[in-house]
Amino acid sequence: MALLEVEDLATHFHTREGTVRAVDGVSFSIDKGETLGIVGESGSGKSVTCYSLMRLIPEPPGRIERGVARFDGQDLLQMGKSDLRHIRGDRISMIFQDPMTSLNPYLRISTQLIEAQQTHRDIDNKAALFKAIEGLEEVGIPDASNRVKSYPHEFSGGMRQRVMIAMALINEPDLLIADEPTTALDVTVQAQILDIIKQRQERLGTAVILVTHDLGVVAGNCDKVNVMYAGQIVESGSAEQVFYEAKHAYTRSLQKTIPSLQEKGQELYTIPGLPPDLTKTINGCAFHPRCPFPKTGAAETGRPTLKDVGDGHCFADCGYCDSSGSIEDVLAKGDTDDIQLPGEGVEA
Amino acid sequence: MSDRRDDFLVLENVKTHFDLGRDFLTRKSKGVVKAVDGVSLTIKEGETLGLVGESGCGKSTLSRTIMQLIRPTSGKIWLEGKELSAISDRDIRDVRKNFQMIFQDPYASLNPRMTVLDTLSEAIRTRHPDSKGDDLLQRVSELLRTVGLNPAQMKRYPHEFSGGQRQRVAIARALAPEPKLIIADEPVSALDVSIQSQILNLLKRLKSEMGLTMIFVSHDLSVVRYISDRIAVMYLGRITELGNAETIVDDPLHIYTKALTSAIPVPDPRAEHARKRVILQGDQPSPIDPPSGCNFWPRSPVEHDAQMKETVPEFVEIATGHWVSNCRFCVEPTATSAS
Repeated sequence: MALLEVEDLATHFHTREGTVRAVDGVSFSIDKGETLGIVGESGSGKSVTCYSLMRLIPEPPGRIERGVARFDGQDLLQMGKSDLRHIRGDRISMIFQDPMTSLNPYLRISTQLIEAQQTHRDIDNKAALFKAIEGLEEVGIPDASNRVKSYPHEFSGGMRQRVMIAMALINEPDLLIADEPTTALDVTVQAQILDIIKQRQERLGTAVILVTHDLGVVAGNCDKVNVMYAGQIVESGSAEQVFYEAKHAYTRSLQKTIPSLQEKGQELYTIPGLPPDLTKTINGCAFHPRCPFPKTGAAETGRPTLKDVGDGHCFADCGYCDSSGSIEDVLAKGDTDDIQLPGEGVEA
Repeated sequence: MSDRRDDFLVLENVKTHFDLGRDFLTRKSKGVVKAVDGVSLTIKEGETLGLVGESGCGKSTLSRTIMQLIRPTSGKIWLEGKELSAISDRDIRDVRKNFQMIFQDPYASLNPRMTVLDTLSEAIRTRHPDSKGDDLLQRVSELLRTVGLNPAQMKRYPHEFSGGQRQRVAIARALAPEPKLIIADEPVSALDVSIQSQILNLLKRLKSEMGLTMIFVSHDLSVVRYISDRIAVMYLGRITELGNAETIVDDPLHIYTKALTSAIPVPDPRAEHARKRVILQGDQPSPIDPPSGCNFWPRSPVEHDAQMKETVPEFVEIATGHWVSNCRFCVEPTATSAS
């Protein structure tokens, strides 16, 4: 049985402007020791998915509308507050994007690391401090026995993110959810942090959900990948399947926009338009208006569901993501001039 | 060195330091932040220079110093033979129409109370003070069309545009005074990948159509490689390596550049698993009291001795157009690409 099984998760935000369907029917599973990457642009619902699993969605305006998230047999979404507190920080922990705002500025690192242990374990101060120092050493903080007494502001951004990782891993959780853990950091520090997560994961057998907008980070660190667009998963599979045999037009378009993959002289491909307004009902494929593939006929009602195309590789096939056609051919024919952007200006 | 002043933009040993003042009680100096600490550069007309480095390396301070938004502590800057660093604060505004800047955050760099028309007209009048009426409207429309926006939207306020469109407005504003030099400070970092490529294409097109010279500042080497002719790598206020974009990315000499290039994640699982990384130790040290000698020694993953901390390496031209801070520990004589 998988460690975590999510089925048809939907989280909506009820705002004055209407109901924002931030996550609208997401299903996936993750095994012990596995790394699952969730990629997508801002607003695609990747962070909301994670916050929903941890039940950290501010309610109201947010509400988990439906779905099941079975963690070791228990449904996280139905669990009572006190049971949830036993699991959070102990068996499932989370690393947030911004290490500046997720540590308490008034408390020493030692206090925060000891508290994290004593909430879940019967452990005395001395032993907890010892473990805290050990944890800091493992994430590569030099002179940990002295640095543990510092306050968060005395650390640099990279060091603070290390403290966050040490804190998240101190109770040796089964599942670590990392929401853009390196987005606020420099590339050199990013490489260090990802390395630390990987090492600790190998040692403890932790399952990791890595949320990021950077396809490069996913390529190097994930076993499985979910690509999200407009609140749904549009493609999922192993990293190799998603990178080398991408089926969905969105995944393929996204890959075409990355400068490091393109020849220098070539113009970068741009996805025309903007992501859809999530307060409106989406009929057919959400990517339809921005899709480079030739479209015929009217959009169907309801969004296409994930279909398995072999070996666990799934994508939301609306019938137009012509899987045999090469995107290069379509683009060569199509007009990629960035002046005419059909979607631009429609917003606001 | 005198002939260098004939080049388009020349920086000569530019230093920008920030004095932290004195402690209230002890009257002791709190130190000096050496944000830019001796940068010499020459940029040719029509060229795009990429400036890369980690946050805190001084790349933004350097671009603001070239803009004369911060005056350099010492050193000289010439633009087309005119010494910018010698022009008084009052007169610099007149000259600044020749060099304009695009900022990172299009949400913060546009005045929320001014329509696009107001913003652009103000900028156009720095070059054409008498422009008004139809002439002005026509110039604004033309600018908007150049950056790929609909002129019908000129009466709108910044909040009515998306992030990518706002950055287009910011680019239009920078182009309005008809500058020769554009300094773009992380113009795409705040944008999503799909929008990022639109702005990169636009900048590249404008550069070739208008013959602009551009300094493109970014922490993202893959973006910089795509858009630049030459790349300068900055570390702790100094330039460690300078050369052709391809050379810097594919065949770097300095260990820091190697670490930077090897740290960029490549969206290709097989290549990503196969490659060797140069992982640096720790973070960039504080520029308040920067390390002596070759300022890279506290993070160097290679073996070194006390000499590295003592000798300040020379910045030498190791091959034609390829300059490097020649520390004998950071630059191997038989250097090959580590990535």
